[in-house]
Amino acid sequence: MRQQRTSRVLIAGIAAVTLIATACAPTGAPSTSATAAPSEQPVAGGRVVVGATGDPKTMQPVLSADTTSSGVWNWFYLGLTRANYKTGETEPNLAEKFELSSDGLTLTYTLRDNLVWSNGDPFTGDDYKYTAEAVMRSEKTVRRSTFDNVEGAADYRAGKTDGISGIQVSNAGKTITIKFTKVFCPATAAMGGAGAGGMLPSKLFKAQWDNKTTDTTKKIDDVPFNMNPPASIGPFIFKSFQPGVQVTLTKNDKYFRGAPLVDELVIKNYADATAIKNALMVGEVTYAGVNPSDNDEVSKNDALKFYRYKTSAYDYIGWNAKAAKAPWLANVQVRQALAYGIDAPAIVNKVVFGFGSQVYAHTPPVSWAYDDTGLTKYTRDVNKAKQLLEQAGAKMGTDGVYRWTDGTPMKMRIETNQGNNIRETILQFAQAQYKDIGVQIDPLLESFNALLDRTQPGADYEGFIIGWSLGADPDPYSIWHSSQTTKDQFNDVFYSNPTVDKALLDNRNGPDCSQAARKKALHTVDQQLNQDVPYTFLFTRDSLTYADKKLQAFDPNTYSTLWNVEKWWLKK
Amino acid sequence: MDRGSFLGRFIARRLVQAVPTLFGVLLLTFLLGRLSPSDPLQLMLAGQYDVTPEDRESLRHSLGLDQPLPIQFLAWLWQIAHLNFGNSFYFNRPVLDIIVERIPNSLQISMIALIITVLVGVPLGVFAALRRGRIEDHVIRVVSVAGHAVPQFWLGLIFVLTLSVQLRAFPVGSMNAVGIDCGLCWDRIWHLIGPVAVISIAGIANLPRILRTEVLEVISQDYVRTARSKGLREQAVIASHILRNALIPVVTLFGAILLVFFNGSLIIERVFNWPGLGRLTFDAAVTKDYPVVQASFLISSVLLIISYLLRDIAYAWVDPRVKVR
Repeated sequence: MRQQRTSRVLIAGIAAVTLIATACAPTGAPSTSATAAPSEQPVAGGRVVVGATGDPKTMQPVLSADTTSSGVWNWFYLGLTRANYKTGETEPNLAEKFELSSDGLTLTYTLRDNLVWSNGDPFTGDDYKYTAEAVMRSEKTVRRSTFDNVEGAADYRAGKTDGISGIQVSNAGKTITIKFTKVFCPATAAMGGAGAGGMLPSKLFKAQWDNKTTDTTKKIDDVPFNMNPPASIGPFIFKSFQPGVQVTLTKNDKYFRGAPLVDELVIKNYADATAIKNALMVGEVTYAGVNPSDNDEVSKNDALKFYRYKTSAYDYIGWNAKAAKAPWLANVQVRQALAYGIDAPAIVNKVVFGFGSQVYAHTPPVSWAYDDTGLTKYTRDVNKAKQLLEQAGAKMGTDGVYRWTDGTPMKMRIETNQGNNIRETILQFAQAQYKDIGVQIDPLLESFNALLDRTQPGADYEGFIIGWSLGADPDPYSIWHSSQTTKDQFNDVFYSNPTVDKALLDNRNGPDCSQAARKKALHTVDQQLNQDVPYTFLFTRDSLTYADKKLQAFDPNTYSTLWNVEKWWLKK
Repeated sequence: MDRGSFLGRFIARRLVQAVPTLFGVLLLTFLLGRLSPSDPLQLMLAGQYDVTPEDRESLRHSLGLDQPLPIQFLAWLWQIAHLNFGNSFYFNRPVLDIIVERIPNSLQISMIALIITVLVGVPLGVFAALRRGRIEDHVIRVVSVAGHAVPQFWLGLIFVLTLSVQLRAFPVGSMNAVGIDCGLCWDRIWHLIGPVAVISIAGIANLPRILRTEVLEVISQDYVRTARSKGLREQAVIASHILRNALIPVVTLFGAILLVFFNGSLIIERVFNWPGLGRLTFDAAVTKDYPVVQASFLISSVLLIISYLLRDIAYAWVDPRVKVR
């Protein structure tokens, strides 16, 4: 599902939506008086209302590139696999099992028995193949690279063939075999969604775009079904879309995990996270994630139950090793000094009110790949920071600011997006605390657009505060590999370490794609990052979700809120 | 020449004058979005590190954003010349459809607010003038200045936080409660009260101040004294002599007000979560959905030009002293 996908943490509003879309073991519930006793029998009926900021841009996974859209279609289009809601490990969904061959070049999915779309059509491997081919011919998708290593995908794209030869459907549609030209370990997770995240009902869609053609001018991009989904394989069926108002879904009695108990699901459009919070407070929205700063107010509402769980997102200060105005950032001791110079736990307490924890490297602590063995746990130590700066060659000036080896004062900008209170406060902390270690910070607040624009890989920025929201299947290649430093790429701190480059490729291209081998490779990456500190890794936030106490069996966690939706029920 | 052909020439001349204005608007709306930092693709795919540069570039190409700016501008002009506003970058749907479906929503709030503004504001202004210097006049003036000084968004936020979230007397926003879908029913009226009240208060605060001045000016005219001295009832003097003349400047005011009402109040639509044109335009501007922003501004500009034209004609019509040249 798309919420496994990844994105740099955006503005607070978007983050709140992600909290809703992702999602747990309830801890610290203020009150559980309305929680059903174990003996209580679930009752069917009722409506669940979810808040979203904005309309879905599309209701079709091939074109979808935002959480609002995936927050709609993932109720009715599913992948062959999904991320385990707690650990993020890839687990069967529409597929009963999946297997990557020992040479890593053949991936086989076996579908569950008796899968049917809501209109009664059987779900088969043809639906999978259709979706994959829709991605390859689409001009508006950003998912084509998923098939870079799939045999025959490029030929199909070019119109040389009328089908992707590397995707074969056999055994009366129950077996899907994918052949790769090169080992790609994250493929098991990525391929489960045919690049898009969810499968389309091919029999119906074919009337609007037929995949069996060499005519590349025809594509799925503008077909009416994109905004009017004709059938569902998920727990709910699309009923209606009122632009600017809501999307209404009804339960799918044919859902393979069992018909949902809830009759109707409404995804209601709100202007921003504050409007969603207000709607939650008055009982209009059934559940929603709230910002830490709103927690105090929302926790006083007796009608709501509290759910807290870890997220796979973290905030950091990035240090540009190629900054023209701060050549010292290329020096590892300086960056270590910057890591010792800041009090991350104090930031957690101040900006997210303790709902988070310090991180020391890239892999989030909730991930199956996390291993903190041997990681340095940086704590604020002004003397050590100064010592490191001096070892690096800096000399203290008469004004309390260090001079770099070329005599220039160690003075630099840290920038972040205005209006994001959390990041603005981090910047204030950084400015004050780095002053103590003799480094002067000029804060720069700008629009989110400007921040994205300015941190395109280049030389005209020094430090920047932003965050990552990481996908369930760990593949940090595009963030840390030394090759990823040109326009639209994500190694905007110009990190370069041959050991990391190799480990990143081991995690991707195996040849051993076992979880143990990948975990080892990722641990190498984390250990190196922990020492090289190209970012000052700050903290991971907890998700604070509140749900109407009437909602039972609701159990959101890091990687999924919807995993057991068919069991949700509303206490009368 | 008779008055009719004067009017015809007047309209024709104003329409010709509108062409360079419109071109300026087109160029400005086109450039302002594009010259600010970041592009729609960067925003759309912000931080999605699993999207490769090749896939980004391919999408950029399909949206036509890889073309040089003059080419993009000309392509857009060509589209508009064919009355085609293109597709939204985000919604993959025709811009015109997206805008047209929002117009009735905005009109609902704005028309009702306009009617309430006039029904309450005009009598208040006249009343204040007729009671000049008395306590009623002072109260109206103070309230009117205060109403004018309070920002609409603040009033809206306070309304939502107190009357909706805390007291639960009104909904927190939207057009209908979830599960109810009706255009004319108690539920819709209940949802309309907040936004209409906030917009009306701003209008009501404005109108009496202008009207009071106008009425006071008209009241001192000779013909009013004549009307009174010939024994006309006071109500008749007010209705047919004072008000009729005092309202003329108010007509000019409506030229611009109409546009504001058409566009909906951007902030109020956000505060009350109202799915109108103002909110659509605002969201499109934030996400850099150029086709939507451009079309919305273009339509608004055309409406503004037309409403000014209508206003001038109406002005000439109601006040024979104004000559159409």
